[in-house]
Amino acid sequence: MTSTPREITRRQMMRRVGLTALVAVPAAGLLSSCATSGGDSAAPSAAPSAAATSATNPFGVKADAPLEVVIFKGGYSDEYATQSHEPLYSKEFPKAQIKHQGIQTISQTLTPRFASGDVPDVVNNSGTDMLDGGALIGAGQLLDLTPLFEAPSIDDPSKKVKDTIVPGTVESGFGGDPAKPYTLNYVYTAYGLWYDAKMFEKNGWTPPKTFDEFKTFAEAAKSKNVVPFAYAGKNASYYAYWMILISAAKIGGNEILLNIDNLADNAWNADAVKQAATAWAEIGKYMDKSYEGLIHTEVQTQQNQGKIALYPSGSWLESEQAKDTPAGFEYAMSPTPSVSASDKMPYEAIRAAAAEGYVVPAKGKNPQGGLEYLRVMLSKEAAKAFTEKTKSLTVVVGATEGMTLSPGLTSVVAAQTAAGQNVVTYSLFETWYKELETELRKQTNALMFGRISADEFCANMQKAADKTKADSSINKQSRSV
Amino acid sequence: MRHGKLTPAALRKYGFVVSFLAVPVLLYVVFVVWQYIQAFQISFTNSRGISPNFDYVGFDNFTQLFQDDVFWAAVRHHVVLLLAMPLITIAIALFFSFLLNLGGGQRNGRMVGVRGSAFYKIVFFFPQVLAVAIVGVLFQAILRPDKAGVFNSALGAVGIQPVGWLIAPNLALWTIIGVMVWQAVGFYVVLFSAGMASIPKDVFEAASLDGAGRITLFFRITIPLLWDTLQVGWVYLGIAAFDGFALVQVLSVDRGGPDNATTVLPLEIWRNAFTYSKYGVASAMGVALFFMTLTFAVLTLRVTRRERIEF
Amino acid sequence: MPVAPSKAATAPRPRRRSIDVFSSLSHVALVIWAILVIFPIIWTFLASFKTNTELFGDNSLAMPQNFDWGSWGRAWDKAHIGLYMINTVKVVAVSTFLTMLFGSMAAYVLARYTFFGNRAVYLLFVSGLSFPVFLALAPLWLTMKNLGLLGTHTGLILVYVAYSLPFTVFFLTAFFRTLPSSVGEAAMMDGCSHTRTFFQIMLPMAKPGLISITIFNVIGQWNQYLLPIVLLPGDVQDKWLITQGIANISTNAGYEADWAGLFAALSMAIIPVLIIYIIFQRQIQSGLTAGATK
Repeated sequence: MTSTPREITRRQMMRRVGLTALVAVPAAGLLSSCATSGGDSAAPSAAPSAAATSATNPFGVKADAPLEVVIFKGGYSDEYATQSHEPLYSKEFPKAQIKHQGIQTISQTLTPRFASGDVPDVVNNSGTDMLDGGALIGAGQLLDLTPLFEAPSIDDPSKKVKDTIVPGTVESGFGGDPAKPYTLNYVYTAYGLWYDAKMFEKNGWTPPKTFDEFKTFAEAAKSKNVVPFAYAGKNASYYAYWMILISAAKIGGNEILLNIDNLADNAWNADAVKQAATAWAEIGKYMDKSYEGLIHTEVQTQQNQGKIALYPSGSWLESEQAKDTPAGFEYAMSPTPSVSASDKMPYEAIRAAAAEGYVVPAKGKNPQGGLEYLRVMLSKEAAKAFTEKTKSLTVVVGATEGMTLSPGLTSVVAAQTAAGQNVVTYSLFETWYKELETELRKQTNALMFGRISADEFCANMQKAADKTKADSSINKQSRSV
Repeated sequence: MRHGKLTPAALRKYGFVVSFLAVPVLLYVVFVVWQYIQAFQISFTNSRGISPNFDYVGFDNFTQLFQDDVFWAAVRHHVVLLLAMPLITIAIALFFSFLLNLGGGQRNGRMVGVRGSAFYKIVFFFPQVLAVAIVGVLFQAILRPDKAGVFNSALGAVGIQPVGWLIAPNLALWTIIGVMVWQAVGFYVVLFSAGMASIPKDVFEAASLDGAGRITLFFRITIPLLWDTLQVGWVYLGIAAFDGFALVQVLSVDRGGPDNATTVLPLEIWRNAFTYSKYGVASAMGVALFFMTLTFAVLTLRVTRRERIEF
Repeated sequence: MPVAPSKAATAPRPRRRSIDVFSSLSHVALVIWAILVIFPIIWTFLASFKTNTELFGDNSLAMPQNFDWGSWGRAWDKAHIGLYMINTVKVVAVSTFLTMLFGSMAAYVLARYTFFGNRAVYLLFVSGLSFPVFLALAPLWLTMKNLGLLGTHTGLILVYVAYSLPFTVFFLTAFFRTLPSSVGEAAMMDGCSHTRTFFQIMLPMAKPGLISITIFNVIGQWNQYLLPIVLLPGDVQDKWLITQGIANISTNAGYEADWAGLFAALSMAIIPVLIIYIIFQRQIQSGLTAGATK
């Protein structure tokens, strides 16, 4: 197996919808086994006689070639595809028949198809049961998306697609060796503490900017019978460890997180990690023990009912809760508080990254159409429709011009502006080293619910990281940015 | 019909034997035996499942396993399950089936159950017809740890503080055992009731005439005469104690938590195979589980074998 | 409780009272257990009418404020509970039938014929009792894919049959051994073929055992959870079974927080089964134990 960074694909799933499954349906790993055992050495399917390329048809899509699209039907559902993206493609190629599939178990459904060579043309690879991106790249199953990013943009043919999207998006989809972009990460996601702006206004509260303020705030909230901060320990303890890691990066800079990803010696024993863990463990004391046994939607529903003030999450939250958010509840996001005055990053720094991957299988019947579909997705019109349907921002710059953004998104945009260059990097160990990640979840719950100290937390995590490092059966990865 | 020579009758017999065995054996070998042979083979490799290539690594996976705290936590839980789950289930089921069949004393010279026996026998069996997956989802709401959880609401009504059924590390495994017992009791009530019904009435009558009370009847007469049935029940429950996957997966914190307090081997097999893509290690765990189950079955049958009481 | 003979004359009175105490205590125990069994099921049913506010409010024991069947509609439309029920009935019916057919054929031959390899075949089957299904999941998935049986009811049925055989063969072999051999031999004398003897004479005689194991298999296969989620993946959702449907809607509650819908789906999965059980409870209970206590 090539040591491809399996970064984005799995990582986003963690971020976005990750652990929503109460009852796991199997088996990204098992199923992907066939991705390689089957047809990896098979000759690339004869490219269908492509039409001539032109300025409006840069990939030379055959006008009547059918297109098959598979969308992960999770928190974003698949209406954005059936009601906007696919119709937009049809407008360009009215003779092309579009076959749409909206499913949740991507891996089980598609692995046998990859193995047999009968693959769709666009796959939204996401969810608990996503395909292992690294395995697919290793087996030559995915198309290099460089032509897409180099192609002229639909909105402004004088610009290349890559210049119309948020910087870093192309790199976030890198994989393979030498690294090439194989995944288009479409959704711009920000992470922080979410709250009801209306409730804060009514009580005269503002989100705490330091951990000292956080404690004062916690007392104030408690006096009003509101839980100051809570997360769902049963299936979403990673929401809490994001906060710890973000705080660690704010204290010591992004290299803290790079060291963790690179399994550097004593990365977890760094002072910044210890300080962050200590600070968050203090906040954990304000949480009722019962939160360890609740799942994320239960906790989110409680927040909607005004029982919880601050909830750690990402910008999909507003969309996920849309149906249950009561009138008068206004989502807003604030950055994580500063731990000390000597933090390397300011309070305003947030973690933001492109997520939710779309890939074009290399051996599909209409790969040109697949690329074109992604180009359509990256048009302002398609991006705007996505934001309208899902209350989530895309990586397309300026796509929300003239749109009334939802309250939550407005606050994300404001936070992003305030953060400027102070962006906390994402963590890749979450998908590179699942065993380490699983241990982090356990240790996070133990820390936040007061069973271990911050020192024990760091020591236990370091032990787990060392074990991963020493395990020869795990392919090691590394990153420099 | 003589054996040994291929007479037409003998040929017919062998033809018959082969024709009757062919399909079942074929199915069984293809879908069961062959799969297990492969699994044993994989347990000696470093297979990751993602790639067709792997190497044989001898006993590495097993050495790794024996140094793994989580593996031992799971093994310990199976031991607890194995002792507690059958014992509690059988005790409750025996008690109830005694009440339902013999607890009403004598009426018209026959031993009868307490009033309402028929109703209880029907109701107690309910959980048995529900799928484990359904029972898990059902108990999720019942056992929710905050004060709005169903059990905790009921306890709150009588002034008891909310209990962290599944979040207290010392309690979580017992809560899951409780759910298993909840589901199993009904079946064993029915099983033991049938056993009791097959004990001749005059045995009880004779004992009663000798002045034996109900407790004596229960311990000195009923249990010994039910020994075979009890043994069967113990083996079923014991084998069930090596599972627990669905309940732990649905009910526990972070699948097996808090702090590994509820994890079981099937869950770790699942995790190693499907989350970590460590097929070799997962198969090694499966092999360990196989030998544990086998040892249990053999031991139980050996230990509990005793003189059959004829009547 | 030994009672001295000389006290026999005075004994009845205190004994009567102790019986009353014992009776009332035992009634309390029975009633508590009955409540423990029934209450969660009724609560689930009622919860399907509650709003999220009620479900996450302070009193989860309260009755729903109004009986809105909307959640049932959602569960029926979106979770396809009806379809999954029918699928499950189909799969379980066919696979139980085949399990019993093949299981009794194998058990009969193993119980009543001496031939080379008899013991080996018997042990092969019985050893399957202690195999954890988990061990086989990964290779099984590949085998099914290679045979083109993945995602088909046929494939699932074959697997169900194969995995039910050890238990079935183990029990029926013991059962066939207990049947008197004279009847079968007499039939053979009369010129019945081996096959006819089996189907027309031995099977009817083994009826109590067959019924018992049939019920075991129906319950076991109905409750199967692991095999269907591995063997009937997401692109064949129209072939899913009821346990998958419930697991799926439970997962969906993670996306949509439709708790009432989840409880409605649960109720739909529970109620028909309970009704069938109540109707046939006498047959089920007596059938279940006929073989097991033999």
